[in-house]
Amino acid sequence: MNCEVCQLKELEVEHFEIREVLRCILHTIVFHRALGLVRPKDVDLELFEITYVQCGDVELEKKIDEKIDHFISWVEKHPNKKSQICLSFYEVKSKQPSWFTNKTERLYWEQWYINLNVTQHPKHHSSKSHHTKLVVDPGESATEERSSRRAMVEASLREVLFQIIKFVNEKKDHVPPISEGVIYFPYEITIPSSSDSAFGMDMIKRMLHSGHPTMLS
Amino acid sequence: MTSTHTNSHTEAAKMEQVITEFFYKSLLIILESRSSYVSSRNYSGEQIVSSPSSSSSSSSSVRPRDKWFNLALRECPSALENLDLCRQSNFEPVVVDVILEQKPLDWGPASFSPTSDIVRNLSSKNKNSYFWNSDQDESGSEMKCEKIIERWFVHHESRKGRDFNSGNRRSSCNNLSALYKKLILMLRSLYVTVRLLPAYNIFRDLNSSGLIRSFKLVPRVSSFVEPLTRKEEVDMQRFWFTPVDTSCGRLCLSVLYYSSISDMSSESSTPMSPQFIPDYVGSPLADPLRRFPSLPVSHGSPSSLPFSRRHSWSYDHYKASPPLVSFSPSPTHSESNALVSNPSSRGLPPMSLPPHPPEAPLAHKRDTNFDEYCPSPSFSASPSPSPSPSVPIYIPRTHLSKALLRSESAPVNIAAPKLANSPALSGRQNLPPSPPLKITRAGTSRTDNIRVPAETDATIEKIFSFGKEDCWKYSGVKAFSNSSPRISCSRSSSRSLQDDFDYSEFPCPFDVEDGEMMDPGSRPESYVRRGNPSDPNEAGLFMNRKSPDAAVGALVRMLEKAPPLRQNVSLNFSEASRPEILSNSVPKQSQISEAVTVEHAAAPNIASFRLVASKTTTDALEELRGYKVMKNLLLSEGGKAYTSSNVASAAEHSSTSKDRSIL
Repeated sequence: MNCEVCQLKELEVEHFEIREVLRCILHTIVFHRALGLVRPKDVDLELFEITYVQCGDVELEKKIDEKIDHFISWVEKHPNKKSQICLSFYEVKSKQPSWFTNKTERLYWEQWYINLNVTQHPKHHSSKSHHTKLVVDPGESATEERSSRRAMVEASLREVLFQIIKFVNEKKDHVPPISEGVIYFPYEITIPSSSDSAFGMDMIKRMLHSGHPTMLS
Repeated sequence: MTSTHTNSHTEAAKMEQVITEFFYKSLLIILESRSSYVSSRNYSGEQIVSSPSSSSSSSSSVRPRDKWFNLALRECPSALENLDLCRQSNFEPVVVDVILEQKPLDWGPASFSPTSDIVRNLSSKNKNSYFWNSDQDESGSEMKCEKIIERWFVHHESRKGRDFNSGNRRSSCNNLSALYKKLILMLRSLYVTVRLLPAYNIFRDLNSSGLIRSFKLVPRVSSFVEPLTRKEEVDMQRFWFTPVDTSCGRLCLSVLYYSSISDMSSESSTPMSPQFIPDYVGSPLADPLRRFPSLPVSHGSPSSLPFSRRHSWSYDHYKASPPLVSFSPSPTHSESNALVSNPSSRGLPPMSLPPHPPEAPLAHKRDTNFDEYCPSPSFSASPSPSPSPSVPIYIPRTHLSKALLRSESAPVNIAAPKLANSPALSGRQNLPPSPPLKITRAGTSRTDNIRVPAETDATIEKIFSFGKEDCWKYSGVKAFSNSSPRISCSRSSSRSLQDDFDYSEFPCPFDVEDGEMMDPGSRPESYVRRGNPSDPNEAGLFMNRKSPDAAVGALVRMLEKAPPLRQNVSLNFSEASRPEILSNSVPKQSQISEAVTVEHAAAPNIASFRLVASKTTTDALEELRGYKVMKNLLLSEGGKAYTSSNVASAAEHSSTSKDRSIL
């Protein structure tokens, strides 16, 4: 089984938009990979005119929210940086235990990379002192700029969602068979760690667990 | 062999069932996201942990059909209706047109009833086509505008020559499992896609908001549809779902959609909010006749005016005028038009009702300019016969006569000619003959002491018929005291009528000319200008501008300037002076005939009055003396006949007036 990798289009979002954007993307991907009996749940974004679908699993929703919170914390510590969130689907296979490996291994058969460029708008500084120093521009130009930017983000997000749909439609063979009693495939959300170098280490760790992607069947 | 054949048949049957259910599921996903009130959007179900194949399903709410493709959706009646279509053995393509219908504003909440109101109609073109309407439009389907905003294609491409029975059982089973998995993925994608397309926003707004929209989504399922126009295909975008291979072909799913349809549905059809209408015209029933100052004064009577509604804020100078104009036949429409105000129309002159019942229906297109429903402010006065064409405008003859009767005094009679000269009475040719006789007749019971011979014009009597109780009605006295050129009437109901007239341009018939005041002999001659009895302008009020007349006029002015007369004193004074003078002026037929000029109403000549400046008391006394002489002369005449036919009737009145003469 090959590990299909999908690099999603980079989105330029603001800090307050991270939660909704990530929720939308992550739940959309998971819904496509929740092949068990689900009762879909439609969720309307508050910031954009987009409705995404959740598979209705409370636990899943909680886990995703936790990961998003971690990511937001990381973003706050590393402002104005391009970041990447990886959503991986794997299979758990047992293997013979050895000195260096665990009994079980994860076979990643699909990875989704969500690329975000979190920008911090001057007006959205959380610091109170900034409000006093900033020159308030309540004119219509600021509103129009904000709305146009919001429209751009919405369009980009819609593109990303269609990209997901196309990827799911084009590549179906690598998806493992449906297991009984399982709603969605095991997944893993990887966010950048606190140190930059740790991100690379996470990739190495993943490779150790899963082995070389090309070796996966 | 037999088992293989049986297995193959079983596999084929399963394959066919899977394909059929795929058709139904895809149809369900599309319809439940495009049909109002039939959506899984509001279907908050519990988490189903078990898989379709699990026999230990903990959830009892999962219907058997929900387990197909592991996607539990709300039942969609429209999809159920099309199940037969989906179960066709030949797997005919299913086309779902999502139509955006725009309807008139007279849609009511009933059209959006959540109850089952889906009707299946067989198309005349294609018996296999099913048209879905969320409402039975009985009002007028011809008025709705339809536009296909989405077209979904679900079909199975059969692959001929493919051996159904090829492969062993395991491969077939694997194929079926793989197929099922792929179909699950496809349907997941379909479920997400239908919510990303622009039409879903319309569907969401229709379902979520409680507003009454002028449009709605109507999914139409059919097997065969007319191809879209080339322009539509160019404007629309197509999204292909990757086909899934089956054992006998492949399942294809695609959609044509407009990338932007916000301009079609962005307009809110919320009922118009209340607006403040500053220039509300109002119902014609409330105030049918209010004359516009700006309205052209026609020579005709008010009845000649069309069915038009005047402005409610205009002053009605002729309040005594009767409602000669009938009401507009559709006051409600006028009100509705008045309510339909357009900011651009506020600068226009106030609206008036159309002269005819409105033809334009109240229901209009949502993008119709409100100006179309603002009737033209033009006002056309269509001539129509009036009840009294000869009566001055707004003043019918009867009213005029009544007004003058009330006054029963010289000022009233004097003012009567002014009615003809008023601007409203521009149509002199339409003026009826002076109705002095009428006035006289009506005032017979209160005639003064003027003894008018049978031949005399009764108008004269009325002019100077100052009864005891009538002297108080000479409000014109005060008016003259002010040197006002206005000859006012008595303070009766006719005053409002006559006050509107502009007396300034009419010379006082009793104007005293210099040098003519002390010629009592000539006064009776120029006492009064009598016009045609039927001419209200005349009314016996016009005076020849001769010395005697001038004297009389001066006398009258003097009397008006005089302080209010008390009953005992004033009566004496009036009795002594005015009636005496009048009586003196009456008897002599010759004097009267000389003084009175009968003018026929064919072409009334309205003499102009000119007020003379106030004179001193001495002059006034001198004039009074002369007036006495004149009166005596008139009284001595008596018995002379008048040329006018009205004289005869005036004589009748004079006979009674003699009885009540002040003398």
